[in-house]
Amino acid sequence: MAYEVKVKLRAPWRVGVDVGGTFTDLVAQDADGRMVVAKVPSVPTDPSQGVLDAVTAAAGQAGLSVQSFLQGCDGFVHGSTIATNTLLEGKGARVGLLTTEGFRDSVEIRRGLRENQWDHRTPFPPVLVPRYLRLPVRGRIAADGTEVAPVELDDVASAVDVFRAEGVEAVAICLINSFANPAHERAVAQAVRAANDAWPLSVSSDVMPIVGEYERGSTTVVNAYVAPRVIPYLRALDATLRDLGLPGGLLLVQSNGGIASVAQLEGRPVNLALSGPAGGVGALKLFGRATGSTDLLSMEIGGTSCDVMLMSDGEVATTDSLMVAGYHLSTPATDIHTVGAGGGTIAGVDRGGMLFVGPGGAGARPGPACYGFGNPEPTVTDALLVLGRLRPGPYAGGAVSLNLNLARAALKSAIGDKLGLSEEQSAVGIIRLLERNLLNAVERISIERGIDPRRFTLLAAGGAGPMHGASVGRALGCRRVYVPRAAGAFCALGMLHTDVRQDWVRVFAGEMETTSAETLAQSFDEMEAGARRMLHAEGFPPARQRLMRALDLRYPGQQSSLRVEIERTFDAAAVRSRFEAQHQRLFGHIQPGGRIVIVGLRVAGIGQVEARDPQTPAPRAGTPASLGTRRTYIDEASGWMDTQVYKGVDLGPGHRVAGPAIIEEMTTTVFVGAGDTLTVDAAGNFDIALAP
Amino acid sequence: MALDPIALALVQNRLDHISRQMGWVMTRTARSPIFNQSHDFSCFLTDAGGTLISQADGIPIHTGGGGFAVRALLAAWGSDIHPEDAFLLNDPYVAGGNHLPDWVIARPVFVDGTLAAFACNRAHQSDIGGGAAGTYNAEATEIYHEGIRLPPLKLIERGRLREDLWQLLKLNSRTPEALDGDVRAMMGSTRIGAERLKALLEDYGLANGLELVEGVLAHADRSFRAALAGLPQGIWRAEEKTDNDCFDLRDVWIRVALDLRADGLTVDFTGTDPQIRGFKNSSIANTWSAVYMALASFFEPSLPRNEGTFRCVRIVAPEGTIVNARPPAPMTMCTVFIAHEIVHAIWKALGLADPSRACAGWGKSIHNGSAGRVGTDRPFVAYHWHCMPGGGAVDGRDGFNQIGHLIALGGLTIPNVEGYEQAYPLRILRHELRCDGGGPGKFRGGTGVEYEVDVLEPAEYSFRGEGVGYATGFGAQGGLEGQVGHMRLVLSDGTSIEPPKYRVCRYELPLREYASSPGGGGWGSPLDRDPMAVLRDVRDGTVSRHAASNIYGVVISADGRSLDDAATQRQRALLRQPGS
Repeated sequence: MAYEVKVKLRAPWRVGVDVGGTFTDLVAQDADGRMVVAKVPSVPTDPSQGVLDAVTAAAGQAGLSVQSFLQGCDGFVHGSTIATNTLLEGKGARVGLLTTEGFRDSVEIRRGLRENQWDHRTPFPPVLVPRYLRLPVRGRIAADGTEVAPVELDDVASAVDVFRAEGVEAVAICLINSFANPAHERAVAQAVRAANDAWPLSVSSDVMPIVGEYERGSTTVVNAYVAPRVIPYLRALDATLRDLGLPGGLLLVQSNGGIASVAQLEGRPVNLALSGPAGGVGALKLFGRATGSTDLLSMEIGGTSCDVMLMSDGEVATTDSLMVAGYHLSTPATDIHTVGAGGGTIAGVDRGGMLFVGPGGAGARPGPACYGFGNPEPTVTDALLVLGRLRPGPYAGGAVSLNLNLARAALKSAIGDKLGLSEEQSAVGIIRLLERNLLNAVERISIERGIDPRRFTLLAAGGAGPMHGASVGRALGCRRVYVPRAAGAFCALGMLHTDVRQDWVRVFAGEMETTSAETLAQSFDEMEAGARRMLHAEGFPPARQRLMRALDLRYPGQQSSLRVEIERTFDAAAVRSRFEAQHQRLFGHIQPGGRIVIVGLRVAGIGQVEARDPQTPAPRAGTPASLGTRRTYIDEASGWMDTQVYKGVDLGPGHRVAGPAIIEEMTTTVFVGAGDTLTVDAAGNFDIALAP
Repeated sequence: MALDPIALALVQNRLDHISRQMGWVMTRTARSPIFNQSHDFSCFLTDAGGTLISQADGIPIHTGGGGFAVRALLAAWGSDIHPEDAFLLNDPYVAGGNHLPDWVIARPVFVDGTLAAFACNRAHQSDIGGGAAGTYNAEATEIYHEGIRLPPLKLIERGRLREDLWQLLKLNSRTPEALDGDVRAMMGSTRIGAERLKALLEDYGLANGLELVEGVLAHADRSFRAALAGLPQGIWRAEEKTDNDCFDLRDVWIRVALDLRADGLTVDFTGTDPQIRGFKNSSIANTWSAVYMALASFFEPSLPRNEGTFRCVRIVAPEGTIVNARPPAPMTMCTVFIAHEIVHAIWKALGLADPSRACAGWGKSIHNGSAGRVGTDRPFVAYHWHCMPGGGAVDGRDGFNQIGHLIALGGLTIPNVEGYEQAYPLRILRHELRCDGGGPGKFRGGTGVEYEVDVLEPAEYSFRGEGVGYATGFGAQGGLEGQVGHMRLVLSDGTSIEPPKYRVCRYELPLREYASSPGGGGWGSPLDRDPMAVLRDVRDGTVSRHAASNIYGVVISADGRSLDDAATQRQRALLRQPGS
């Protein structure tokens, strides 16, 4: 959509583009920190078209041709849903899998684990490689890495014949115990490549060398499955942008929250599983600086879901495994807790007569009832419209128009008539239940991480987040809610503040106290050499390279490990005390003096992108102009009030607004509760001090 | 006056969130892997009378039976219950326990000085004494052989842990450290639960809050009645057996009659066989949970997890039978077997009432444990979870080819081969789907697996071959039963051994174990299976060409990659003829 604001940019600028289900967001920030924000409809059939449309819109706002806009760009960061959508839609490549004889089925057995045990009628999502394309190779490596039986390459030859006959497009290799010794996998890979070097190969000891044939195999298979769809798509988009003038080429956000070039991703497209939402990592770091707080909880709410992320002591919480479309991936990833709660979430009454909100949603089309595209069921957006929180008429920059009568009718028939409530009461019920679900989601990630959310600042983002931030923050016991002015382009904005990052992992077996510093140093040095090569290739001089070493540690017998960062000189006593502090916080106990074993070594290679904070707008004096008042439902205690409504552009740094109030911004609407005080901070964002 | 429907929805949401929160705290703080890997615990809330008001978290076989524990402690302590007290119990005969290893911590919640509710955690301990390490003593013939029995005890008295009692408990466990850590985690999770529940009731005021809680139970009652209303009224009977009493081969039957009327459902176990010598006898709490699990899993997953769901259900479990044993019968195994059989019997009866939702049987496990030493100082106990069975089919999906015990419905994780080889002196040689193991049907039963392992050290073997010797995954709606399980051992000197069904044996040589785990039952006639699905099974090697032709009536062309449509039509017509 076009915003009327024209911004003159000074080169070079950095661009972030996030492709969502409904909108593609673009944020550009120039050498002086000036920003352009563009939002265009996504094109599900060809997401790259949405990217190009966003570029065109942004160039227009900057008064530049597309070519000049791209030529002035010194970093083009993209969050792409291409890998995730390939999985969700089941449109990946035909994959052949080679496994150790006797172990073809771990990706089909899935460790027998069901995500929702009470729902046993829903089948597992289809296995990505049919059993007749999962073929055995004789030969065996033992648990300690020694060879029990040599690898039989004749088996590879016959498997290759089958793969050819069956039209296989990509090959995955996952042999038992390859994490301990990859020699057999490498020999098999070489044999496959010799037979047909057009097949993209995914070799488990390269993709993710961890213990566990299911998790390693599943990750490797997903990698093979998405590669032939993802890589050509990214190459083509990269080439198009370069042809149009982009000097540096495309950078992609990975699940770990770091960025990588298309060339870096060729072997590991699986790392794009969380490409879009992981852009939030950069946003957390940016707003950590803006708020002066190292402890942030973010709640990014869009049309269908709410993503919750946590930054504690300046570190964004990560995880080593995630499920995408029902498939297990073991890759370093940002820990994002997602619940079905957004503007399009559907409400109703179950057959026992209880009000429910979600988790299902109306999507972008038909969307909420008030859009008038034929959905009869009431959604959160319909409730907000009836409560006066949203304004009838043009919405989301004019992409749709909100019809109050349709919203009222949906609320009446689906809820009001069944429960004996007015439309207004039904709407209140929806919002209160939705905000309860949001609160539950934030509490979950806090409790699982052993932190107290009351000392955190709640960052409310996404198009729909700032509407609920004050209420959820209050219920959590937070004192402060922070709303970025470009809340609706949160992840795209975050992408401007994201470093290049790649992670290296090695399985290791040793007691922490008896492992020699030299042994560790040797492995770490080898891993770091790989990291340096990558960073050098990506154009980072040594001064901008940062290498982080960490150990995966556990007490013997434990099923999961804790990651502890270590210095370049290994100090076992210091590492023990860090491990114990973390164990105490997360698990509530330690084993004083207990043995600690090292099970893995990790290196993160980080290429630091120069930090450029957004421009500080000029302070504004006096009282901001109001658009007038609107009758709005505030909360249980205050009921309905005449509420001041402001236009975002009328508020600048230094302005204060006493709640209740509504701020209509370009990409979001902010709700300030009764007794709350909103201050526009120096960066131009909204800082809300909550009434207790 | 009618309840505020918005407050009602908020209260239900908060109750379920509280019981889940307790589970997150437990997972995070407990010490034994059983909790964070197998989730063998549950968190629940009851009202002041011991009626279960939420159990959103926990293993399915724990669900629905928690109220017995609180009602037992109320009977024992009456008015001597005070703020900051916490209770501990486990005994299935006097304390409302399900079986001895599952200990319950219950914390009273007081609002305005009135006892208003309880927050509870039931969790499987790593060791509680008794005749065998690790809580499962397969040779038990009395409950005294199974570990320490706890009546409702006041473990924390007005905020003070009773140190004498605490020492007694630790002294009775082979793993006092783990017990200490795990029970403290239970205390922590119930503290969080009690605080949150108190805050909830205070937010609404006690009287109004309790009315809303009652409204939540009434909603569950309406929801379950609505589910039952879809079924025809009448009496539906079924039975299910186990073929042994843990010592001898003899059939022991569960018999159930579901009497479905307009005003509710009676689940009547009259006619069920008497209690047995071995440790599969069920406690009344476990029988309730098994009935709850069978009913809830038959209907939709959204049914509320509280006792309101059971308001219109009456259970008749005659004393002295295997579903309600008299003391001192042993019962540690009952949460797996006989619960499996109880669920099967009820599923069969429900399947008669509503064939479209009928569930085929899940295979019973056959895996054994191997215990020994590596060298002189490294003891090991390895359970061969890799030969878990296949699950049963339902309309719309095939059975899960391999899955853990039925009573967890997919909540138990099968370990990785690689992780096992790191931890134990084993080399696993095969862990693959069986061919023709799954019960044929329009939807095929789970295949089960072929498992081969070298046990590299001499070891003691504890066998519990429930799924060996007879088919355990029954078919539904014309589907056929899954294949039986087999097990064979070959010692390193070449001796081949057919292991006993239930016994502990020691072999002084390394050996290779071969196991074929049982398949799940099929749903619907195999002649109605989509021929493309049969082709895929044949190509996958999970169904033989022979079975495809003779059971499914599907003829695969010579190249093995496509259907012979004409021959398939002829073959299916032939097989449909009566007497064929």
